[in-house]
Parts: sequence; C-alpha cells; structure tokens
Amino acid sequence: MPIRRPPLMPAEDWFRSRLRSAAVAARVGLWLGVCFSVAFITGLISHYARATHQPVPFPTWPSWGYRVTQGLHVAAGTAAVPLLLLKLWTVYPKLFAALPRTRPAQILTGLERGSIAALVAGAVFQLASGLANSAQWYPWAFSFRRTHYAIAWLTIGALVVHVAVKLPIIRDALGSPVDDSTRDRPSATSPGPISRRTLLRATWASAAAAVLVTAGATVPGLRRLSVFAVRTGDGPQGVPVNRSAVAAGVVAADVGDTYRLRVRCGSHAVELTRADLEGMSQRTRSLPIACVEGWSAAATWTGVRIRDLLDLVEAPRGSDVVVVSLQRHGSYARTLLQGNFADDGDTLLALALNGESLSLDHGYPARIIAPNRPGVLQTKWVTGLEARP
Amino acid sequence: MKGRDPIVSRLPGRALLCAIGAVFMAYGAALLLTGSALPQLGSAVTWLVGGVVVHDFLLAPVVIALAWLAGRVLPGWAQGSVAVAGIVLGSLTVLAIPVLGGWGRRSDNPTLLDRDYATGWLIVAGVIVVGAAVASVAVRSRGEHGGGRGERARRR
Repeated sequence: MPIRRPPLMPAEDWFRSRLRSAAVAARVGLWLGVCFSVAFITGLISHYARATHQPVPFPTWPSWGYRVTQGLHVAAGTAAVPLLLLKLWTVYPKLFAALPRTRPAQILTGLERGSIAALVAGAVFQLASGLANSAQWYPWAFSFRRTHYAIAWLTIGALVVHVAVKLPIIRDALGSPVDDSTRDRPSATSPGPISRRTLLRATWASAAAAVLVTAGATVPGLRRLSVFAVRTGDGPQGVPVNRSAVAAGVVAADVGDTYRLRVRCGSHAVELTRADLEGMSQRTRSLPIACVEGWSAAATWTGVRIRDLLDLVEAPRGSDVVVVSLQRHGSYARTLLQGNFADDGDTLLALALNGESLSLDHGYPARIIAPNRPGVLQTKWVTGLEARP
Repeated sequence: MKGRDPIVSRLPGRALLCAIGAVFMAYGAALLLTGSALPQLGSAVTWLVGGVVVHDFLLAPVVIALAWLAGRVLPGWAQGSVAVAGIVLGSLTVLAIPVLGGWGRRSDNPTLLDRDYATGWLIVAGVIVVGAAVASVAVRSRGEHGGGRGERARRR
C-alpha cells in the first residue's frame, strides 16, 4: 500500500509509475551506451590527432575523416542528453532504495552504488562540459581538453562496470516485451499518462530532434532546421571563424610590409615576403576545416605546397615541421606538423580562401590547411616553418 | 528472474568486465589527479558533484512536481500528449541552455553563436505545443482518455 504521509526522505516505494521500470531503463540505456561508446571512440581519435607524439602517424586520408569523427562525437553527445535525462528519470527511485541487511551484501551494494555515482557524475559532466565547450563557454577553472579526456575514461569505465553488474537484468529485460511487469518494483503499479511504448518513442524523438536542431553547424543541409546550432555557417569569405585575430593578439602591424615567412632546416634558411609566396607555384584544394567544437565547413584554399617550401631549405622527406604563428595569446602559437602531413601534396600554406586573399581573421598573410586535421592545428598567421629532420 | 539468481549468472565473464571497467576508472582518476593543479582539480570536482546535485535534488524534483501538477490539473484526454510534449521540449530546453544563455558570445567574433536562439526556442516550443494540442483534440474526439492500448483497461 502507498505510504499515506511521505517521510522527509522519499522511499523507493514512494514512486508508483509503471513507466519507471527495468524494461524502459534497459532500452534507453542500450542507446545511451551506444552514444557514449561512439563519443568515447571518436573522442580518442580526436585526442590522438592533437597529440604531438604519435607513435603511429595520424593518417592524412580521407581529408574529411576528422570532420566526420568530430561531427559524430558532438552528435552522439547531443543525442545522449535526452537519453540520459530519461534514463535517470526511469531509475530515480533507486536513489532512495534501502540498504541490504547483511554486511557482505552492504559492501557489494555500496561498491555498486559508488560505481553508479561515478557513472552519473561523469556522464553529466561530459555532456555539460562538452555542450558548453561547443558554445565556447568556459565557466570553470580546469583545462577542458585534459579534464574531458580524464573523465571520459572514468565514465566509460563506470559504464563497463554498470553493464557487467546489470547484464542478467539487461538481457532479461531486452528479451521480454516492453510491457512485461515481472521485473517491476512491487509499488510500480500506476499506469501513468502514457504507455511505455509511447515513452520510448518520445525519447527517441527527443534524441533525433536534439541532433537535428544542432547538427547544422556541421551538416550544411540542416542549417535551416538547426535553430540551436552554434554556427549558421556564415562568416568572412563564407567560412566561420573559431578564433579571431583580436582574440589571438594579431594586429595589422604584424602582417604589413615587415611580414616575412622564415623557413629553416638546420643551417639552411630562407625569408620570403607574401609577394614571394604569391610568385611560387600555386595549388588549389577543396578541404574542410573541422573544429574540435564540432562545427565544420568545406572551403576552397589556394596557396603553396608545404613540401615545395621545405624543398627550398632541403628538408628531407618525413621531417616534422614546427609551425610558428604570429599569435600572442593561446597555447597554439607553436604547433607541430607531422612529417606525413608536411609531405602530403594536399597540405598547403594557404594564401587565399574561396578565391579571395585570406581575411585577417582567417589567418592573413598565410595559414596551414591540411587534410584530415583538427581545426585547432590548422595554424593561422604563419611566420615560421622549422623542419626537424 | 526466470529461476536464475541474477548475481551469479555468467559470473566469470562479468567479473572480468568489472575488472576492465575498474582499470579504466582508475586510469581516468589518475589522469585527473596527476594532470591538474589543485584549484583546477577543485573546479573539476565541483562540476562532477554539482551535476549530480543539480539533477537529483533540483531538476528531478521539479519534473516530479510538474508531472504531479499536470496529473491534477489536466483532463485525462490531454495528459498523454502533454507528457510527450514535456519530454521533448524539456530535454531540448536543457540541451539549449548554453546557446540560449549566449555566455560564449564575443564581440570580436560575430560568426560564433550567430543565431537568434530565443526565437528558435519559441519556434520549437510552438511546434511542440501545436502538435500536443492537435493530438489531445484527436484523443478527445475519439473518446479515448489518455494511456496507450492495454493500459486504458487497467485505469480506474
């Protein structure tokens, strides 16, 4: 019988809806697990792509690879928001479940609840921090990249433990009809306003809608639908800007007549003006710019092949290249262009974007554009290339 | 539980999975503890704990209260549609908090957060509310009072 006067702390049997059931939790949890797995794997790919030390070189092919993996990363996290909210709603009574009587059972239950606390804390953290990061909102003191990566391991580990503990119930629930009530809590008898099937459909619809209203930042065909996308896709020369010249501390005087590109390999060095660069053999490539925040845009870039510049200073093939930017702020003033990227014929020191000379916010006088590379490493305002044979 | 004790079913495999998960968790915790200075660690822990607290003791009770209120106030034929509309609109609104707030907006970069998100939210809410109203009226005209098949029979 329901408790007439609810205590200050709710008890598990205080929750009476039939919708809060293992049948629903297992089905929503399955897709939540899929989303977190996709986000974890694509996150590992992104983390590796940004690593300066790569025992196995990150591939330069396909050129759209990072655009797809990072787009999937953000889309999976976005779809997971409604799924996580519904999953937590379904299992909320468990928060108030009584502890078992015997000591060994208490220890086991305590461990299991600890792993669930880590899972919920990690899952909420990953989704909240990821969403805030895609909107370039940083209301915290920690390093986003490092912390999001550490908590990804914590969360996926807690998820694996959770699946291991619940596996018999998950298999049982997924193998039975959704309206089956054998695993329901005894108090969960109230039908509620909708059926379990309708609840699940509403959940899938929410997850799909979440992706549709945000994915326009990376899928051009969805731009009109994506009312919550962090970018419309507009910007100078038809491409959005992640970090402006002002934010990077680059001023007009840096890129005027005194600008030089210094290319060096050991004792060989050359200094080139922007006019010298324009006088070299120009290549035009269609390559996407794809940012870690999940937005991306296809564009046509024109400039000098990095390999042609390295040949001027007789840098051997396979040399890594330190790219030096004019930017004063941020941790990407010096980046590493791995040898396989430097040698790729599609990797350019771009001078023009979509047929016009680069705007200052896109990295005038010259910027790196390489295939299959995180946008944060497509260094702008390049003033130095130092080959390391 | 179909005659099998769930705790011991497939125990070796599940124990191995548990161990793998525990190693991943320990690796994540080690990365967090070794890679951050104390103030940064404090900020990360605040966000970890804060997320759980905000969900469990703010969002969840508010949702429960709203659902209880809807059950009292709304006629039976509207309850199902309103529940579905609440799920979709509620979760999309939580998702949209960072863009609706616009805290990441910068004067030097007009290409970031360059939509009118409040209008976008009103459009989303409008579509959902109209959809829920149409569905409610359809339920009422068919003489059905909430609930899916099979559940109607059980309703008091």
